[in-house]
Amino acid sequence: MNLPKIHSISKKILVGALGAFLSFFLLFHASANLLILRHDGGEWYNAFCHFMGTYIIVKVMEIGLLAALLLHVVLAIWLAVTNKMARPKGYHKPQRSKTHTGSKLQVWTGILIFACLIMHFTDFYFVKIGLVKGKYLVKTEDIVALKVTQPDAFNYAEQQCEYSAKENWLTNFDKEDKAVLEAAGLEVEPDFYHQAREKFKILHIVIAYLVFFTVVWFHLRHGFAAVFQTFGLYNYKYGKAIEVLGQIYTWVVCLMFAVVVIGVYFGL
Amino acid sequence: MKFTLHIWRQENARAKGHFETYPLEGISPECSFLEMLDILNEQLINDRIAHPVCFDNDCREGICGMCGLYINGRPHGNDDGITTCQLHMRKFHDGDDIWIEPWRAKPFPVIRDLVVDRSAFDKIIQAGGYISTTTGGVPDANTIPIPKHKADMAMDAASCIGCGACVAACKNASAMLFVGAKVSHLALLPQGKIEAADRVHKMVCKMDELGFGSCTNTYACEAECPKLIKRQNISRLNRQWIGALFGRDRK
Repeated sequence: MNLPKIHSISKKILVGALGAFLSFFLLFHASANLLILRHDGGEWYNAFCHFMGTYIIVKVMEIGLLAALLLHVVLAIWLAVTNKMARPKGYHKPQRSKTHTGSKLQVWTGILIFACLIMHFTDFYFVKIGLVKGKYLVKTEDIVALKVTQPDAFNYAEQQCEYSAKENWLTNFDKEDKAVLEAAGLEVEPDFYHQAREKFKILHIVIAYLVFFTVVWFHLRHGFAAVFQTFGLYNYKYGKAIEVLGQIYTWVVCLMFAVVVIGVYFGL
Repeated sequence: MKFTLHIWRQENARAKGHFETYPLEGISPECSFLEMLDILNEQLINDRIAHPVCFDNDCREGICGMCGLYINGRPHGNDDGITTCQLHMRKFHDGDDIWIEPWRAKPFPVIRDLVVDRSAFDKIIQAGGYISTTTGGVPDANTIPIPKHKADMAMDAASCIGCGACVAACKNASAMLFVGAKVSHLALLPQGKIEAADRVHKMVCKMDELGFGSCTNTYACEAECPKLIKRQNISRLNRQWIGALFGRDRK
């Protein structure tokens, strides 16, 4: 089978463009995660998740994001394989040239990030699409509506959760509760606030996520400036500024992710 | 000074190569690396030990780009901004083991021992690294005004001697610094701008066709270039390529 002909630089530009898109998403994701640190029972964070899970444009973008992620990985591996073929016989002595270690590790950190994403998806995204069980929530007004039509289901919901008619959401359901409420005709959504707060109380999960963010730091630190280079925007005038901006962006994104995980663990 | 040399020996392009070890004594610290290999070859010939070690060389003053050896894990050896012929034995310690290998890249097949066929670079230049307009007689220097900084950048790029250290150093055996330099030194000047889009397209296509890897921004090429050519030339190549994708309007 003949693979489609894409020139090496075009392939790099595609990988870079997809990487830039994913990097912007990371900043957006990390910013939204800060809402988990609010002690509001998940009102803001779950409202944000509700918007993300229901708004049609966001749903289309979600498919685009997953496609971008997969394409980024596939193209990067394709590049790595063709690059390997360009030197069929390697050197006996390991290379001692002064180079950016980040770029040498880029494929490996990428593969590690992909492995960590499986953990992350199992903890959160797969709950949303129903592959694994987690915490769920329903709208309070829907519960109130059950009081007349289905009192059994209303009583069940009232017993299972701390019910307050003043709150917009009734949260912290398990999968069994979800089945009962869905049978009563309610629209049940994942409760990512409680899900995150429960997960990040467990030490080994916190450590695993901090390792994940460290790998992301390595990948992003090289990737940011590399995107500018690949797009032909790295020049004598702005080269240093691009590198500094890359460092700032990388640290800000990774610290925002880390502060939520560490904060929840220490009860913030 | 005395050294133990581990040199890649390979009868011809099809033969299976191997490392051969040669002890060497009485080398002056002021001796250049290629002179040291000359002394070794004299011994190999006089003592009828083996065929002399084949290696490329010509000007021996860092201009021609013919010499190119991968020495102890670095193209052109353990110093910055020099070719192999400018490397001196004082850069080593007495008693050192020195591993000498040929450039390794699919488009640079080994011809014999440490000599590789670098005609792939010529093919890239033939594909588009030229100006095809008839220039006529030599014009006065200031007939076409060129900003000083552009002339300087073009001159820096034009200092590439095509030694292939960038390909040898790159973990992907990429020729992007070479092509970047060759594209830049023409594209930066008014005479070269006219064919810039076609040039970059032809040269990159040829580079891919010959089997060079692609750039992953490791910048080993920049670190090992004997003429200190900068990565900004690769960035310019990328910029020119993007421009050529849209600007190269042909039926």
